[in-house]
Amino acid sequence: MRARDNPFRSESILRVRYRLLGIEWDQLLGRCEQLHYRAALVGPCGSGKTTLLEDLEPRLRAKGFETVWLRLNQESSLRERWSLSKQTTGQFLLFDGAEQLSWVAWQFFKWRTRRAAGLIITTHKPGRLPTLWKCNTSAGLLSDIMAEVLAGSRFTPPADLFRKHKGNLREALRECYDLMACGAHDQTARSVVASFFSDTAPCPATVSP
Amino acid sequence: MTELSIELTDDRTGFAPGEEIRGTITWSTETPGEKIELRLFWFTRGKGTADASIVETIPFNQPSPHETRPFRFVLPAGPYSFSGQLVSLVWALELVASASKTVVRREIEVGPDRREVRLESVASKVSAAKSWLTIKTG
Repeated sequence: MRARDNPFRSESILRVRYRLLGIEWDQLLGRCEQLHYRAALVGPCGSGKTTLLEDLEPRLRAKGFETVWLRLNQESSLRERWSLSKQTTGQFLLFDGAEQLSWVAWQFFKWRTRRAAGLIITTHKPGRLPTLWKCNTSAGLLSDIMAEVLAGSRFTPPADLFRKHKGNLREALRECYDLMACGAHDQTARSVVASFFSDTAPCPATVSP
Repeated sequence: MTELSIELTDDRTGFAPGEEIRGTITWSTETPGEKIELRLFWFTRGKGTADASIVETIPFNQPSPHETRPFRFVLPAGPYSFSGQLVSLVWALELVASASKTVVRREIEVGPDRREVRLESVASKVSAAKSWLTIKTG
């Protein structure tokens, strides 16, 4: 399958937005205001923290905040980690990857950004700021996302996909990409191919017309 | 509301590097102060982060509310359109009306045979050769 046709290509995955369950967006923003707009989105890798932060942004802008993005990942250099907090007075900071800062760097960052209008971070563990929302995943959520992305295309995922990736939806969807790419996504196709090349099945080339 | 369309001459969507792309664009808009421009660009699709590059832009100055205008681009020598399992590179024309945030896109193929280049993995070629050999030798 061509990369451009693969339903699990990155542009399709990026279109999937965060599914807020058990709360409305207005309530979440209200909770954020109660926390004086300094809060954390907490969750393991691939649980949707960045997606949720992206979806919060337009809602914060609608309230009149000027948002600024800060991003760190495992490849970020020491200089990048220490030079994050520039002039931020009055701006609302959306900081993706706050767990990449050491304790000392985090304290320095908090002090430097004390005059920002707001600060929401994503982090793997709670503690750095009050938790605004805990991102969780489930096998059901993975199924829903796959259905949205597939939009009718046929795909039979491995039974243990969610468990195999320990709830990391990003990695599970990347495996779906690979399965689609090499054509191993269809249980029926897999069975036909397997029986074709098995020792007990007659080789079609030897069957008399 | 703004409506946009891109028509390619002879409805042709395959081109060789260096060839001309000709056609017409049509718009119909009720949005005051609408700005219309046509972009020739390529982008990647696949497993990883997408990449993109705008090669040329044609602005259509002082657009009236309903109009059709011709356009012409000369394609560069590369990159070619290609598709493998991990990544595809896609060429496209994109017509943008910025005030109403309306966009319409038309994908084309650019390659030596006026088609995208298909990349096959080495593993799949070896596997196919083995299968053929198995059938032939019984």
